[in-house]
Amino acid sequence: MISTGNDIVSLNAINITRTKQYRFYSKILSTAEKRLYNGPEFATVPFENFVWLLWSIKESAYKYLKRARPDLVFIPGKFTVKQLLFPAGYTLANFEATEVESAGFDNNVALKGIITFGTDTLYSRSLMYRELMVSVVNDDENFENTYWGVKLIDKDYPEYQSMEVRKFLVSRLNKLFHSAILIIGKNNGEVPIIIKKNKELPIPISLSHHGQLIAYSFQLADLPSSILQISKNCF
Amino acid sequence: MTRIEILNELKKVFAPYTANKEMLNRINDETDLIKDLKINSANLVDIIIDAEAKYNIEIDYDSADKIINVGTCIDLIIEKLNPNK
Repeated sequence: MISTGNDIVSLNAINITRTKQYRFYSKILSTAEKRLYNGPEFATVPFENFVWLLWSIKESAYKYLKRARPDLVFIPGKFTVKQLLFPAGYTLANFEATEVESAGFDNNVALKGIITFGTDTLYSRSLMYRELMVSVVNDDENFENTYWGVKLIDKDYPEYQSMEVRKFLVSRLNKLFHSAILIIGKNNGEVPIIIKKNKELPIPISLSHHGQLIAYSFQLADLPSSILQISKNCF
Repeated sequence: MTRIEILNELKKVFAPYTANKEMLNRINDETDLIKDLKINSANLVDIIIDAEAKYNIEIDYDSADKIINVGTCIDLIIEKLNPNK
């Protein structure tokens, strides 16, 4: 299945006191997942970052799977983060940029995860800063064809977040495909899709916003043929 | 408690997590928490915990998948308040 799932969490929009309460984080983390926090790599990472990092991985996995299973409901406890690998020499830093876009992930920066849901095994890449956690999930360990972006916006009300994340994604797609008439819609399962001339394009996308942060991901199964397909659809 | 009483109480539970106050005032069984009330998924755990505290109930993993729309929330609360029915 070709899909993608992403999620972003802004710690500025989180109730940190509540996050640290057992009755809260126990709704998100299993006992085995809580043990991950005892690893030396988390020594300088606040607990709230850890909780919301795992949340972002789990919600990304949910979005990845929902494309093929429209009735799926997100229950964090049913998704299990089995492994989290930090890059060598990782230290928690501030998010200094206002906008970042890339394809694939820098192994010197990204955290690598393995997550399961029932019999499904998925792979994650996450960026964790003091202020934010952003994750993308794929069914392959290779993220070379995974395109993603993160941007800081100036307002945090839902309609604005929604509009801005769509503009952000369309701008990136236009740079890649030189097509100016792409629309972001939703299918019957409420999964976001790209529409060109009333037709859904075969590029899975995922959108996320929280507080004053927006993020997207999309997956190109094979870049040259995907570009060819888009070009055929455009002209 | 009747469904109407629970619905009115739920408005107070949802209030801190939605900016869509107009929609909040006219919620019904079909109102979707994420699509209609624009509640961020990250706040669904807050809503579960607030509902647990308000009704002195426990909402476990298997029940949490009923937190979709107002009607399923009310069904879940009634079920938890009356476990033997």
